[in-house]
Amino acid sequence: MDTTSYNLPPAAERWQTRALIIGVVALVITAVIAFFSGSLTHSGEAGVAQGEAAAAAHGSTTFLAQFFRSYLVGFLFVTGISVGSLAILMLQHLSGGSWGLVIRRILEASTRTMPLLALMFIPIIFGIHSLYEWSHAEAVAADPILKHKSLYLNVPFFIGRAVFYFVVWGALAYFLNKWSREQDHTGDPRVKRQMQNLSGPGILLFGLTVTFAAVDWGMSLEPHWFSTIYGMLVMAAWGLTAMAFTITALVVLSRHDPMSHVYAPSHFHDLGKLLLAFVMIYAYFSFSQFLIIWSGDLPEETSWYLRRLRGGWELIGLAVVILHFALPFVLLLSRDVKRNARRLVLVALLVLVARVVDWIYLIAPASHQTEGHEQSLWPMLLLDFTTMFAATVGLGGIWLWFFLRQLRQQPLLPIGAPDLDKVLAAATTSQH
Amino acid sequence: MQRVTNPHDDVAIHRTSPPVIEPGHTFGSVTDKISALTLRRRTPIGWYIGFTLSFMVAGMLMMTIAYLVMTGIGIWGNNVPVGWAFDIINFVWWIGIGHAGTLISAILLLLRQEWRTSINRFAEAMTLFAVASAGLFPLLHTGRPWLAYWLLPYPNTMGMWPQFRSPLMWDVFAVSTYATVSALFWYVGLIPDFATLRDRAKNRVFQIIYGMLALGWRGSARHWARYEATYLLLAGLATPLVLSVHTIVSLDFAVSVIPGWHATIFPPYFVAGAIYAGFAMVLTLTIPLRRFYGLEDFITVRHLRNMAKIMLATGLIVAYGYMTEAFMAWYSANTYEEYMILNRMRGPYAWAYWSLIFCNVIVPQLLWVKRVRHSTVALFLISLVVSVGMWLERFVILVTSLHRDFLVSSWGMYSPTVFDWSMFIGTIGLFFTLLFLFIRFLPIISIFEMRTLVPQAQAQINEEKGQA
Repeated sequence: MDTTSYNLPPAAERWQTRALIIGVVALVITAVIAFFSGSLTHSGEAGVAQGEAAAAAHGSTTFLAQFFRSYLVGFLFVTGISVGSLAILMLQHLSGGSWGLVIRRILEASTRTMPLLALMFIPIIFGIHSLYEWSHAEAVAADPILKHKSLYLNVPFFIGRAVFYFVVWGALAYFLNKWSREQDHTGDPRVKRQMQNLSGPGILLFGLTVTFAAVDWGMSLEPHWFSTIYGMLVMAAWGLTAMAFTITALVVLSRHDPMSHVYAPSHFHDLGKLLLAFVMIYAYFSFSQFLIIWSGDLPEETSWYLRRLRGGWELIGLAVVILHFALPFVLLLSRDVKRNARRLVLVALLVLVARVVDWIYLIAPASHQTEGHEQSLWPMLLLDFTTMFAATVGLGGIWLWFFLRQLRQQPLLPIGAPDLDKVLAAATTSQH
Repeated sequence: MQRVTNPHDDVAIHRTSPPVIEPGHTFGSVTDKISALTLRRRTPIGWYIGFTLSFMVAGMLMMTIAYLVMTGIGIWGNNVPVGWAFDIINFVWWIGIGHAGTLISAILLLLRQEWRTSINRFAEAMTLFAVASAGLFPLLHTGRPWLAYWLLPYPNTMGMWPQFRSPLMWDVFAVSTYATVSALFWYVGLIPDFATLRDRAKNRVFQIIYGMLALGWRGSARHWARYEATYLLLAGLATPLVLSVHTIVSLDFAVSVIPGWHATIFPPYFVAGAIYAGFAMVLTLTIPLRRFYGLEDFITVRHLRNMAKIMLATGLIVAYGYMTEAFMAWYSANTYEEYMILNRMRGPYAWAYWSLIFCNVIVPQLLWVKRVRHSTVALFLISLVVSVGMWLERFVILVTSLHRDFLVSSWGMYSPTVFDWSMFIGTIGLFFTLLFLFIRFLPIISIFEMRTLVPQAQAQINEEKGQA
């Protein structure tokens, strides 16, 4: 097969520049808005909601806190694309379905952004005191629960674990990419076996690292709270993000020349089914957690939901149910939506937006003091949404720039994979 | 792991997947071979022995039930604080075993996994018999099983209405739906084969019975079109049940506030455990069966290997559940949560906890090794170990969580009585009795679906594609 025929379209160069510009601008905007919001609350002006004043007194709505919280949302979203792609990549090596071959190069390019993500983690280390209550020695000393947890939740161990996660993810990504490239050049069938053999233990490592990363980065924002399903929830969230992103990338590529004849409705159909599966799995985990905590009604657990069911957050929660589950679920039931690339990409984009909203819902209320304040916290909410979306676009733009650079380095199809011809041929016959 | 030394030896690598049906079979030979098991071959002496033994054990179950109904559930070892014990352990164990059947028949059908074909009939039968065994326990635990209809919401003069917030209530609906859909799915799958048996039976009685069961099936194109649609619809209906039934079973525990029960991970962890136990049981039953009836052509190494892989994957999820429970118990900094896990590991039932870890976590790691996955003896032994492990898991969850809860003054111990055991072992007898009857009188492998795997069928499909 001709190697040159599966390259990234020339238009991609423009996308790359634009992504970088948008990313940097959005990140600057995040910082600026956060800065002004910080000065706003610092002055303690009248007219600011009482809850906000309380929050300011709590020392959480400073410029830095707002910025880092927003940054964390963006970081968790973007990391989800790469780490989720890593998991899907390993799953497709293990299951060997035809759906995997057409998206493999996109997944691989996503996983190759791991060094960038490791870099993006550095600001979080600087923001650790603004984000995590357990990082303050005096807070730990005053709180027996935090003292108990300090064996796990302490700054050096936190950073050490993060390094470990990135080493594991980076190593898995490195070998899978290296071998895939080898397969292109040599067509050696042993490589396929090699990738399979790594993927089994790889999935296991993925599960463990993501679980602890979820505890570290998300759950420990509210250090008293715990939920055993949280790790699985984040795995599903990241898988879903990666699936929706991959579909979007695939559809964009399918509109440009080298790939426009390659992808067939049957490919989109399979990916649409997977997207539906991820949408359902996430909803299942999320609802399980809610139902069990609601029903147990224990104070140490319900605090997490109480913060998310007051002061306007209850509407965001409802929006998550609709945007993240009900709407994509109903749309993806339709065979037509799944087979039609143009419609499928709309659902994928909806899911991506819903993922951002859901991350905001998971992260932002952690620092809001809503207990005892039944009045609206809409100004705070609006601020959160602006900076958090801007931060996501910012990190997302920079990530996309790096992703496109990676995507350019390889042909867009794994040309050395033994079954590629069969997959492409089957797709063209099923078109008729 | 296994390397092929010669890089040019492509064939060896592409052939690493054993076929789903051994070569050399035709439509005729498939039909002959499977239908002969019920119609032509003499009932093997082993069948009589197995059936008699199982039936005797089932008889023990009937005697236990009779004594139970006359005396009351006080004959069990249940006490305060361990108010739920063998009855629920066995219920969850059996229901879990059933799940593999539904997974194989419905989910693998929707995922177009053709290797499911030769094991689905058998696995579905296993599901039905497992659900039947499971259902006995909560039914008898009500104490007055003849009033079990009180669980249903119906207008009555007693002013009684079920508590819909209770997952025990959801269980009633989930399990009865599950039983109904599984039975329907199984029966619909059998219809074309009943017709085959009707046409091939020489005995007048069999002709009439199979004829009635075949519902007038003639195999016309219209029959097949409707049949395929029905079968797919039923598969679609059965798929969410795999998740929902065991999710609800897990909620029986998780919605409470008992440490060791109240954990948000319970739903996915129970579902994985159910599939794990189910595949272990399918392997336990399939391996001897294919040997005694010479079905190695139809149930190949590929089937066993794939089931072993699913077992390994779900086993790892279950192990993940144990790990998360232990970690979160510490991380929660909650005295009761921490005590619960320490009590499991070091308390009076530590033997059960560590045996469970050995059976469910350590032994199945052997399945990473390809040689083990391809050895029927090893698979058989591992599947037995996993079945024991999954039973122990429910024992640990039930008993260790209940016997020491918040107040030291209300702590207690639990030990099963002889009637707990006779009832549990009795249901195993019931299960095998039904299974032996099934093996004797119904085609244990789907004849018409196996025919689609034969090269002859593939040739026909290709021909039709060429014409279109």
